[in-house]
Amino acid sequence: MEDKNPISPHIQIYNWHISSLVSISHRITGIINFFAITLIGLWIASLLLGEGYYEHTSSFLSSFFGKFICIGIIWSFTFQVLSEIRHLVMDLGYGFEPKTTKVSGLIVLIGSFPISVLIYTTGRLII
Amino acid sequence: MVQFNLPSNSKIKKGQYYKDKTGSKNIRKVNVYRWDPSKNENPRIDTYEVDMDNCSSKVLDILNKIKNEIDPSIAYRRSCAHGVCGSCAMNMNGKNGLACTKSHSELDGDIDIYPLPHLKVLKDLIGDLSTLYKQYESVEPWLKTTKINDKENIQTKEDRAKLDGLYECIMCACCSTSCPSYWWNGEKYLGPAVLLQAYRWIIDSRDEDRKERLKKVADELKLYRCHTILNCTNACPKGLNPAKAIAEIKKMLATA
Repeated sequence: MEDKNPISPHIQIYNWHISSLVSISHRITGIINFFAITLIGLWIASLLLGEGYYEHTSSFLSSFFGKFICIGIIWSFTFQVLSEIRHLVMDLGYGFEPKTTKVSGLIVLIGSFPISVLIYTTGRLII
Repeated sequence: MVQFNLPSNSKIKKGQYYKDKTGSKNIRKVNVYRWDPSKNENPRIDTYEVDMDNCSSKVLDILNKIKNEIDPSIAYRRSCAHGVCGSCAMNMNGKNGLACTKSHSELDGDIDIYPLPHLKVLKDLIGDLSTLYKQYESVEPWLKTTKINDKENIQTKEDRAKLDGLYECIMCACCSTSCPSYWWNGEKYLGPAVLLQAYRWIIDSRDEDRKERLKKVADELKLYRCHTILNCTNACPKGLNPAKAIAEIKKMLATA
C-alpha cells in the first residue's frame, strides 16, 4: 500500500459545507440511535424483572446525567428524522439546487434543537 | 478500511519561504503544496509572498506569476485559462475549483493551494487521474445506436433539453475529488463526474442502450455509495449538479 508517491491531503484540508455536516451528523446520530434503541429495549425488558428495576432506571433518568442522556437521545432521533425527511425529498429528485440544500440543511441542523426541547418538555408534562 | 490519516510518506512538512523582492506594499501570502518525485522527501508547503499590485485577477494568474517571477520549479497543469479545458482543477482555500476561473479576491486571507484531494500526487499540484479516466471509459461514453442514417439523428427540443446541465461537463474532476465517498471507495465507486457522464448517455433519446447502461451502473458500490453529501454540487466550477444526476439514475432504477 505504501507508495512512493504521496496521497494529496483530503479531509484534513477540505472545507465543511452545511450539507456535508448534515450528512456526517446523520451517520453519527444513526449509530447513536442504534445503541439508544438497544438501551431503551433493555430498559423495557428490565420492567419484567420487577418494581425495583423500574425504580432504579427511573431514578437514574431523573439525575442530571440521566437527563442529559435523555435529551441527547431525543435530539439524536429528532435530527435523524428531520434529516431523513430531507433525504426522502431528495430521493424524489427535488431540492438539489445549492441554495435549497443549504436552506434545508440549516432547517435540519437548527430545527432539531427546538423540536427536541419541545418533545422533552411535553414528555415531562405527561410523565 | 477507511483511512482518515495520511500515510507517513504523505505527511506535509513546512517548506521554504520566498520573501517578496519587489518592495510592494500589497503583498499576499500564497501557500502551495510541493512534492518533487526526484527527491526522496515528504511533501512540503512553500510560502510565496506575491505582489498583488501587478497580478491579474485569477488564482491561475498568481501561479503563473510565481512560476515566471519567483520559482520556476513549481509544477501545475493549465491550458485554456478560460474554464473550458478543466486542466487547472485544484483545491484552493479548502474547496475544489478551476484556478483560471476562481478570482483570488473571493478567497479570504492567505491563499492555500493544494492538488485535488486524495489523489496520487505526480508532482506538486498534479494529481494522477488515471483511475477516473478508466472509470469514465467503463461507462462507454459514446452514442450507441443501430440507426445508420445519411441524415442527422433527429432529437426533439424536449429531449435535447434533457442534456442541458450534463453535456457542459468538462471532466475536470473537481466534483469526484471533493466527494468523501470517492475518497474512501475511489477504486469501486464511480464518483460524481463519471456518474454524471453515465446519466448523460442514459438520458440521451438517441441512445438505444439505456437498459444495459442502467444495469451496468446499478451496483451497491458503483452507484449507491452516493450518500448525498453534496460536496460535488458545491464544488462544480461549471455550476452543474452531479448529485441530482445521480439521484435521477437512482430514481430511474427504482421506478423501472
